[in-house]
Amino acid sequence: MNLSILTSRLHLIISFIFILSFLHGCAVINKTQVESSLSSGYPERTIERNEFSVAKENDVIGRLAVIRLEKGDTLPDIARHFSLGINEISVANPGVDVWVPEAGRRIVLPLSFILPDAPRKGIVINLATMRLFRFKEDQKSLAVSTYPVGVGTIEKPTPMGQAYVERKVTRPTWYVPASIAGAHRKKGDILPPAVPPGPENPLGEYALYLSKSSYLIHGTNKPSSIGLKATNGCIRLYPEDIKKLYEKTPVNTPVSIINQPYLIGQLNGVVYLEVHASVEEQNSVELKKIFAELRKIEKKSARTIDWIKVDEALAEARGIPVPILEISQEVENNEKMIRIRHPGKLYGSPEIPELNMEAWYVLAAELRDATDASRLAAIINHQGPPIPARILAKNDNYRVIAGPFNNISAAKDAAKRLKIDLEIEGILIEPVRN
Amino acid sequence: MKKSFWVISLMFVFAITLMGCATTSDLEKVRAQEQEINAKADQALQASQDANANAAKAAEAAARAESALKAAEERAQAAEERAKAAEERANKADAVFEKSMRK
Repeated sequence: MNLSILTSRLHLIISFIFILSFLHGCAVINKTQVESSLSSGYPERTIERNEFSVAKENDVIGRLAVIRLEKGDTLPDIARHFSLGINEISVANPGVDVWVPEAGRRIVLPLSFILPDAPRKGIVINLATMRLFRFKEDQKSLAVSTYPVGVGTIEKPTPMGQAYVERKVTRPTWYVPASIAGAHRKKGDILPPAVPPGPENPLGEYALYLSKSSYLIHGTNKPSSIGLKATNGCIRLYPEDIKKLYEKTPVNTPVSIINQPYLIGQLNGVVYLEVHASVEEQNSVELKKIFAELRKIEKKSARTIDWIKVDEALAEARGIPVPILEISQEVENNEKMIRIRHPGKLYGSPEIPELNMEAWYVLAAELRDATDASRLAAIINHQGPPIPARILAKNDNYRVIAGPFNNISAAKDAAKRLKIDLEIEGILIEPVRN
Repeated sequence: MKKSFWVISLMFVFAITLMGCATTSDLEKVRAQEQEINAKADQALQASQDANANAAKAAEAAARAESALKAAEERAQAAEERAKAAEERANKADAVFEKSMRK
């Protein structure tokens, strides 16, 4: 073999080693960049989630935070504890597995919001961000309550427009619409004409009926659906959030339902942009409006917009307020995210009962991959109402079993739900001991 | 005449003698040179053999490296396919979950 071939082979090997070193360096630099964006000092115990006060000339509320994940965390559990929607926490943390995220990893809690461009009175629901704002004016400032919501599906979207709260009901009965009854019947799920209050009622414990016929703002028996387009047009809130909203919202409160994926706001002279439309969803009409608005701000304030940051915010679409002026280092330091201590227990996270030798179980799946098994168990645990599920290792496989159930009837009901809602053919497991 | 003969003979002998001396030293010189050249030749031969041996070793090492690189590429591709399959399974699970969250 001649020397020229030998030389070219060695060059290839050296290039390979160089690229690997460079990538490792990038990973180190990326981690360093994340670390440098965090505040110094001890992690804080709490952070504002729902109640804010904002000066009338400002448009941005809340603070961004980070939290370190622990083993067994899921993004829906973290989201619920911090009153975020599953959509908000997912887009703010691209690449993080929703059900089996890596323990030890830091994730962003997107607890800062730009208020929508709408009159600040009553209730304003922004469908694009899946977030509800309730305004109450004080003398000098504005009190804002904000909660994540679930909205209508693509097939049955929540309608935009103006309405008001016509009536309020606690422990509402759900009168099943014919279309929904038909859809469930096709899946083998026969719904009664009316579902009374209780764990099976999708309206939850509180409902605000709107002047738009058949549309409600209500609770839910599926908390993990908050932040999803999963309703038949209604607005869903976490059970703990609808309770608070219900208590502070009188009848005749105006309700404005809008769709604003791009939000521009100012806080203490700094201009922010918040983007909720992915690159695929972005349309040129909306973009032109936003750019025109930004140019207007630039001209009016005599400050310079950093158009590279604007472009990055549009490309990343992480749904968090991004400062877009060419700003000084001091202001950049003020943008650092605060560190939040992981709570001992996440509010609303599913409880898995201990194994019971006298109970029935349902074998949901037997899988080769541990991560797939963990994911399936987490999804079953987060059904509404929840179905407890765990993993049992067996040789090289992982069994996902649902239960415990007190009797065969309860086990069969669970198996039916797994079949209808998750397309899983469960196998009943009788008790070890009678 | 006789004297001339002797002179010529002496000169002849002298010349031959000189020629002999020259031939001997030339020969020795040549031999020495030959030895030196042989030594150089030996060195060159050894160096050549060493170079061939090194080239052969380097070629073997390069072949092993190429084989390792190919195996690493195949492993990376297999890992990429596994990751893609895992992502598809995760996306499918998420889609089933989102559907289950409807009323």
